[in-house]
Amino acid sequence: MSKKELTCVLCPNGCRLEVEIEEGQQIIIKDVSGNLCEKGVEWARQEIVNPMRTISSSILVEKGELPLVSVRTETPIPLKNIFDVMKEIKAFRVKAPVNIGDIIIEEVAGLSCNIIATRNVRKIS
Amino acid sequence: MQTLKHDLVVIGGGPAGLAAAIAAKEAGCDDVLLIERDRRLGGILNQCIHDGFGLHRFGKALTGPEYAQHFIDRLDALAIQRMLGTIVLSMEGGHVLHISSKTGFRRISAGAVILGMGCRERTAGAICLPGTRPAGIYTAGAAQTFINLQNIMIGKRIVILGSGDIGLIMARRLTLEGAEVEAVFEILPYASGLPRNIQQCLNDYGIPLYLSTSVIDIHGKERVTGVTVAEIGPDRRPVPGTERHVACDTLLLSVGLIPENELTRGADILIESRTSGAYVDDAFMTSRPGVFSCGNVLHVHDLVDYVSEEAETVGRNTAAFLKGDMRPAESHIDIKPGNGVGYVLPQRVGGEKDFVLSLRVSEPFRNRAVLVREGKRKVKRKKMVRLHPAEMIRMNVKVDKIQDAMSLEVSVE
Amino acid sequence: MSDHYDVLIIGAGVVGNAIARELSRYRLKIAVVEREQDVGMGSSSRNSGVLHSGINYKPGTLRAMLDVQGNSLMEGLCRELKVKIDYIGKLTIAQDKDDIKTLQRLKEQGEANGVPGLEILNADQMRKKQPDVGGIAALWSPTSGIICPYGLTIALAENAFMNGVRFFLGHEVTSIQRKEEGFLVNTGNGHRFTTTILINAAGLFSDRVCRMLGINEYRIYPCRGEYLILDKRLKGSLSVLVYPAPKENMPGLGIHLTNTVDGNILIGPSNEYIDDHDDCASTSNIMALLRKEGHELLPMLSTSDFIRSFSGLRAKQTSPEEKGYKDFVIESRKDVPGFINLVGIESPGLTCAPAIGLMIKDMVAERIALEEKKSFISERPGRLGMFSELPAEERADLASQDPDYGEIVCRCEQVTKREILEAIQNPLGCKTIAGIRYRARATMGRCQGGFCLPRIVEILEKDFGYRLEDFILNRPESRLFTGRAR
Repeated sequence: MSKKELTCVLCPNGCRLEVEIEEGQQIIIKDVSGNLCEKGVEWARQEIVNPMRTISSSILVEKGELPLVSVRTETPIPLKNIFDVMKEIKAFRVKAPVNIGDIIIEEVAGLSCNIIATRNVRKIS
Repeated sequence: MQTLKHDLVVIGGGPAGLAAAIAAKEAGCDDVLLIERDRRLGGILNQCIHDGFGLHRFGKALTGPEYAQHFIDRLDALAIQRMLGTIVLSMEGGHVLHISSKTGFRRISAGAVILGMGCRERTAGAICLPGTRPAGIYTAGAAQTFINLQNIMIGKRIVILGSGDIGLIMARRLTLEGAEVEAVFEILPYASGLPRNIQQCLNDYGIPLYLSTSVIDIHGKERVTGVTVAEIGPDRRPVPGTERHVACDTLLLSVGLIPENELTRGADILIESRTSGAYVDDAFMTSRPGVFSCGNVLHVHDLVDYVSEEAETVGRNTAAFLKGDMRPAESHIDIKPGNGVGYVLPQRVGGEKDFVLSLRVSEPFRNRAVLVREGKRKVKRKKMVRLHPAEMIRMNVKVDKIQDAMSLEVSVE
Repeated sequence: MSDHYDVLIIGAGVVGNAIARELSRYRLKIAVVEREQDVGMGSSSRNSGVLHSGINYKPGTLRAMLDVQGNSLMEGLCRELKVKIDYIGKLTIAQDKDDIKTLQRLKEQGEANGVPGLEILNADQMRKKQPDVGGIAALWSPTSGIICPYGLTIALAENAFMNGVRFFLGHEVTSIQRKEEGFLVNTGNGHRFTTTILINAAGLFSDRVCRMLGINEYRIYPCRGEYLILDKRLKGSLSVLVYPAPKENMPGLGIHLTNTVDGNILIGPSNEYIDDHDDCASTSNIMALLRKEGHELLPMLSTSDFIRSFSGLRAKQTSPEEKGYKDFVIESRKDVPGFINLVGIESPGLTCAPAIGLMIKDMVAERIALEEKKSFISERPGRLGMFSELPAEERADLASQDPDYGEIVCRCEQVTKREILEAIQNPLGCKTIAGIRYRARATMGRCQGGFCLPRIVEILEKDFGYRLEDFILNRPESRLFTGRAR
């Protein structure tokens, strides 16, 4: 049995949560305390068992007026997969023009998440 | 020299200027000119490729460029005139602007001006950082520009001084790009950035954060080879015996933002030392009639959503001013920061309408209340679980509570 | 194969360049070898930029004679070379009766040196020159002034270059051999030069050059002076130079405020003997001291007014125990014929530079017949000062003809793209970022390059084909970047 401290990020209250965990074959949340609402409990569970994140990065653009197009994960991905996703992002190239919202990489790193463009990059004339 | 005339000139095409120009046009000011020094609109948002923008306004966690695009699209839809790659060199009397761009010099005579110039970063020189001056010392924002906009990596082994959000964001960015971020050092006994960023930029990647610690020496003649850090005591001096060397090739500084008010000062507009921004009233008008201020140049914000809101208020007010609908208030109420409060804005109000009070506390508190009072009389009270200098607090103050007041004080109790 | 020259000057500081420029009036094949990637990277760019009147030096010394002569030559030289200069005058302040005696002594000494216009002022008179200045009396020296030290160093070099002097930057002298015809000089990158006359203007390394020739009687003790640069908004408060009356055995002239020709204020310098001939760090103790002094001397000073710190090294001949000053060593060595040796040119070296040029020219004339060139170009092309200092109408005209004058790259200092391009395309071929800074002033403002450096990098990449490894701050190893993100 161990205790983990987290600061909830769902709202500005920033409750300091204390989570009792039993670590075995699976992680079992025994208790969550310090929260002012129920959302915090659910967030804490997710955060301990399988923390999810969105990440932003850049992808190389060919023949664009900017060298890089800023991109992000369309939906959250597991924290543990971030570097797998980064590996694909770093290797990828896209041709200009790129439009905001375009799907650049589908189902990145085998996850059910797309990498989408977050800005327009016009083709150089 | 060519002289142009415009009813409204908005200086800055970042989030503040964009929202203000749009709001002014929508409120009936037809003749709006927006001036931006970069070659594209969006301001600092162009390089803020991380998300978290627009949670309040759009209910979504957008990236900086996406947030900016919303406003750029609306600016285009309203066919608001803009000059890109143009710098305002000076502002005389608040209404005559000298501008410069590839197409030459021009003078603009403006009926009203909205200041939206944003901030610059505090530098190594400004904090009198000791040591050598090798290559490899960057402010976090400049590093962000190089990496995100120019595809240039500035280092491999990074030490970050300052736990402000920009430094934290860059800690994550650099790590994801394959650099090693050794540590973040913060001179205060608490972190200056948002808890969400401490978690998602540092803890996620095992990057240690050392509080009450600062860089006291930089080493390396040609390129940074390392820094010496030490604990900083309550007298703001290094504690002897706590010095240690951290090897690195890059020192990133995230030690504060300074509103860019050179133009404002040049026009003899009053600046408050607490915010380093203009003194404004509840219309966000500065000490010079017809010159308004909003966004980071007025006071450093942490949420762009509030910048947009503030700027929209300013846009509407400016349109009213130009129509002649803005009567100067007969008297005014000064608002001052009291115990536990770093600054308040606006610093004076006319007492004739409701207004939004913005403020920051001077240190972290838990389970306290922010109290607005006139002498002993309570005007407004807001109970909060968490109060932190990194998070701007906003309170709606109703006019019926402040009528006949002479001055207000805002404090933490 | 080696290049043969009539004169080879080691060191492209203000002294070396002043000598080169003076000698370039004559039919001589002249080369300057410099270890750094640009001129003036030693002490020449790292000082107060003050022109001294000559009151502080013992009559009959080289320091005294060369300073007074140099001071009077500087005005004409700066006009020809388009360098900013301003004879703003100096008050040397007395706080007590002992100080007043010092002032009288300095006045007499100055007059013996030929310094014009010296006057002892009472408290009322001195406050007319500088309101709110403390003290009971002051010595007024109207020929004291300020100059841009790196501006002068660069201008001298560029004019010398225009008149045929060859500059070899990034060439550190590693050994020297005496030959029948003169000297064989080897540099670190495998380059070899032979020369009839060899001039040692190596500043902090002048003792090292001496030792290469077996001359072991000189030793340079680097003495560091730290400075803080303050925001231009404070400028209006200071109109003249203000120094305290010197006290016994003070290693320098004391911490003071100095206006710069660009409108900043300097606080400093300190005095600290160090071992390293190349350590220009800033230290926390000295900076704390400078800040304290700053707050006392400028009551309206706030922490947001600090722009930057820097330090420079004095090439002192006196050890930490000896303290004080030794006179300049400027000699045409009899034991090493053809070797003209300059050692220990610390303050007032900057002021003396034009006069040193003439003195060396005379020494060279003793060995080689000098024939004046009719083609000597005394005027340096270009404008005096920054574009932003021109009247508005003139700027508007120029900008309408050249869009690069309209495009502002450095927002804080209002430096135009045209000026950046001129700095990049400098005649000496210096390719460092510091080189652009010293010529165009970009990155010297409040944001210290936060806004303009990315733009300058873009210009260099796109318009000049710089690769990432070409971006160096000031030395080949001072690379700005480590590679591409993608």
